[in-house]
Amino acid sequence: MDTQQPGNEPRAIVIGIGDYHVGAEPMTSIGLGSCIGLILHDSKLGIGAMAHIMLPESGGKKDRPGKYADTALEIMLRDLARKGSSPKNLQAKLVGGAQMFANFSGNLSIGDRNAEAVKAGLKSHGIPIKGEDIGGSKGRTVQYCPANGFMVKIRRADGDCSEI
Amino acid sequence: MDALGELGNIGASHAATTLSQMLMGQIEMTVPAVEIVDLADIYKHVSDETAALVIFQMQGEIDQAGYVIFMMPLSSSIRMTNTMLGMTDEDREINEMDESALNEIGNIMVSAFLDATAELLGIVMLPSPPVLVIDMGHAAIQQLLAEVAFDVNEVVFFHTTLVCDQYSINGDLLMLPEMNTLSKILEMMDKLLESHLT
Repeated sequence: MDTQQPGNEPRAIVIGIGDYHVGAEPMTSIGLGSCIGLILHDSKLGIGAMAHIMLPESGGKKDRPGKYADTALEIMLRDLARKGSSPKNLQAKLVGGAQMFANFSGNLSIGDRNAEAVKAGLKSHGIPIKGEDIGGSKGRTVQYCPANGFMVKIRRADGDCSEI
Repeated sequence: MDALGELGNIGASHAATTLSQMLMGQIEMTVPAVEIVDLADIYKHVSDETAALVIFQMQGEIDQAGYVIFMMPLSSSIRMTNTMLGMTDEDREINEMDESALNEIGNIMVSAFLDATAELLGIVMLPSPPVLVIDMGHAAIQQLLAEVAFDVNEVVFFHTTLVCDQYSINGDLLMLPEMNTLSKILEMMDKLLESHLT
């Protein structure tokens, strides 16, 4: 994992594809296309977690838990629990799951399938979704700083910025 | 690894020559790097800068072979289409004329790239019709990775940077082979080297 300093923003940990991070530090995932940035926040402790999820199902693979929706949620919950966080204090936000191009054969609906898988996982753990910016056809970069509350900043490819 | 570098070199230099003829300007090209990149580190190679990406599937005698991508930062794209279309305004939105010019440039360059590499390997490799995306480079590439890196955590990039100082244009030619294709290409390269040695 690495850090970068975009403009005047605080130094954030960059979460690459298939990676995740748990803690109080600022975190960012750049250029989410069909990937999902899943953010879990514990407002009591002021900590949280972000994963850059690429695919809906691990199919039993354990080598890169942040890469798949099912394993990412499990590992985030485990690491949050180790820092003293209880699942009942957690809330979730989702960003990404776009369909960047429609003209190719292949895994067309991967963004939708990622979003569905993440939502199903959250539901089964009883974690409420407090905000989402998913679908569409544009890439997104997302920023989250657990110490400053559960505000998630999003910048789209066309330059539009928003918060959820 | 050296063999792969040479393959990329031949393909990229054909593409660079083609682009330089189209722009009637001097194109400098870096020696293609064959990079084995961990998924989590892709952002170090492809940023979320808004870019024009012309994306092709490799087709022909190799099925589901992977992708070839011509990628240019948006500012470079506009300077390039201005050069081709005889315009000067750089501070404008991309329009339909730019889009078809970009598709065409991508098409010609990627065809040159694939022709040269396929000829070396003695097979037929063709580009699919181009798909143009104007978006964050990383987001577009990431979706392609979801297809080629389903089972793996590392991907092989063939990466060449093309620079034209005269018009301050720069772009990248990326080949993203599917894993099976890569091993097939390596096999063919091995055979090729053996036949040259005997």
